[in-house]
Amino acid sequence: MAHLQLTHVKKSYGLVEVIHDAGLEISDGEFVVLVGPSGCGKSTLLRMIAGLEEVTSGDIHIDGARVNNIPASDRGLAMVFQSYALYPHMSVYKNMAFGLENSHMPRPEIDQRVRRAAEMLRITEYLERKPKALSGGQRQRVAIGRAIVREPKIFLFDEPLSNLDAELRVAMRKELAALHHEIGGTMIYVTHDQIEAMTLANRIVVLNGGHIEQVGAPLDLYNKPANLFVAGFIGSPKMNFFEGTISATNGAETTMTLGEGTLTLPFALERNTGDKITVGVRPEHIDLAEKGAGDLNVIVDLSEQLGGETYFYATPEAAADQSQITVHQLGQRLLGRGEVLGLKLRPHQVHVFSADGGILRHGPGEG
Amino acid sequence: MTAATTEATLRDRIGSGALALVAVPLRALFSAIDYPMRLVQRVVGVVGMPYLFLIPNLAFFGTFVVIPLFINFGFSVTGGTQLYLEDRPYVGAEQYGYLLDCENVTDVSTCREDRFWRSIYNTITFVFFQVGFLVIFSLVTALVLNRKIRARGFFRSVFFFPVLLSPVVVALIWKWILLRDGLLNAFITWLGGEKILFFISPTWAMFWAIFVSIWAHMGFYTLILLAGLQAIPPDLYEAAEMDGTKPSRVFWRITLPLLWPNMLVVIVLALIKGVQIFDEVFVLTGGGPGTSTLFIVQYIYETGFASQIQNFGLAAAASVLLGAVLLVLTLAQLYAAQRREAKAA
Repeated sequence: MAHLQLTHVKKSYGLVEVIHDAGLEISDGEFVVLVGPSGCGKSTLLRMIAGLEEVTSGDIHIDGARVNNIPASDRGLAMVFQSYALYPHMSVYKNMAFGLENSHMPRPEIDQRVRRAAEMLRITEYLERKPKALSGGQRQRVAIGRAIVREPKIFLFDEPLSNLDAELRVAMRKELAALHHEIGGTMIYVTHDQIEAMTLANRIVVLNGGHIEQVGAPLDLYNKPANLFVAGFIGSPKMNFFEGTISATNGAETTMTLGEGTLTLPFALERNTGDKITVGVRPEHIDLAEKGAGDLNVIVDLSEQLGGETYFYATPEAAADQSQITVHQLGQRLLGRGEVLGLKLRPHQVHVFSADGGILRHGPGEG
Repeated sequence: MTAATTEATLRDRIGSGALALVAVPLRALFSAIDYPMRLVQRVVGVVGMPYLFLIPNLAFFGTFVVIPLFINFGFSVTGGTQLYLEDRPYVGAEQYGYLLDCENVTDVSTCREDRFWRSIYNTITFVFFQVGFLVIFSLVTALVLNRKIRARGFFRSVFFFPVLLSPVVVALIWKWILLRDGLLNAFITWLGGEKILFFISPTWAMFWAIFVSIWAHMGFYTLILLAGLQAIPPDLYEAAEMDGTKPSRVFWRITLPLLWPNMLVVIVLALIKGVQIFDEVFVLTGGGPGTSTLFIVQYIYETGFASQIQNFGLAAAASVLLGAVLLVLTLAQLYAAQRREAKAA
């Protein structure tokens, strides 16, 4: 069993606090991904769990035992680094065996563990090679192998795929998912790539500016973002946001200004007329309409034909200060630059945020 | 135009004015040499041009290094006391024979030129201890200076500072410290001890010769090792930490193997410099007491220029022998440097 608990964890460098009161519980066998923009503190959080950074205040418990002052090596964790951190002068075998030799494990057992991990990762034929003679993907496997042989309570991954090319990254992502299935260990994974987060995680922890913004299953975050930041961060291309003011509200409907027109939402908001709100709509929840027939008119800036689907980027015709809108359409749509057309937001699938960025209401969904 | 853009334009103008100060004379220079250069290129061809540019430096190197090398060899195979080669009688390998003539090489007194052998044994002793301790001290210093200590930059410059001093200055400073009435003896008597005559005891003289040269050169080697240490990715140490590696094992199994190419360069460079030791020790001890700190370069200098009968031939022969040793060491250094580059690639 490996159960990790963070309570009121803070980290400061001098007077600068980089992690603010983080609380998190991770249960045995979970694959948890810490995701956020660069500088959000996700790597710092991971390194504190690993024992490579001191905790300024708060507690970290592993299986009920407080580990704040326990050295990294005694926490029963293994870490895979972004740079792989393989010892360049040692063979693949030696790299994997090094940690076990430190703990004076008998040779036959070391050999058995290394060979089993090598087989699992399909690197048996490279065991005698030096890391220099391996490709990026193979090195990454060795780094993972080095973690596996230690049979840790928790695996920590610090952006392990970011040094690989796009194709290899996709392949390794699948392998990592398969590995988690096979080993069944607890894994904590740091990335800034939300696709990695969405595809690998049982649960995602979204961080921003040292705060945990939201914790939840990938689709929960996608469908029910807790605030403007999560809504904008999860999903690619990102959610469109429209700022407006509530012009009328009653028990069943809310009407808001949207550019020069209005948008009627099929639910009530506990807000007063005149309050500022932001409506978020994902690119796939916008429909095309004739000019003047939608909620707003836009001018097409660019369209991307991907064959099976089409993305296009457009600017609202009326309000020049509104940011660009991304629209996703299935199939092939030919739209020329400068073309003016109407957009209709699916009112059941909008997310309404208050002026301070918190969620007010998710649309009821399909309907 | 807004204030900001006016300012930017003004700054641009000042910038371009400063540029013009450099550019205008340069342009004039280039246009002046343009035609002659084209003319030369037509004569020597495009392929020949780079060699043309190399000539000035090659001429300098040839005049002051290569030609003297041959002249030196000429002196080593001729005898007599005449300065001009054409006046000197050819003696073949006689000078070398004289230098190397020994009944028993382990007993200097049985050699015809005992000072030569004495200087060789002294140099070997010196190099053995000096290089050994130099490498150890440089390594320890580099390891300490690579840690996150207070005033790291200050300490780094403190250790490098002696390298900037002239060898004569280094020797004079230490002479003032070590003389009979020097600083160190003042300190010893203050503590209640007796004065030590450092330059009268052969062991103390050799000790201080080694000590001072280590003090003077350590900074340079520390710098090379520090650069090597900083090139080791910190991730490796973190991985080792996660692996539960003891500090001593981290040093022997990770730091030292990864630093080894730099260590090799340091060892070979220190060997080359050690064999060539002269100025500091010459000023500090004058080779004494007796011949106890007489090293090979001083022997050559004294035999050729500073003795009553200036024996150019013998000095030249000794130089050729020293040159051969240095050549072997230099090849070793090139090999070490190549290996380091190959490892880095």
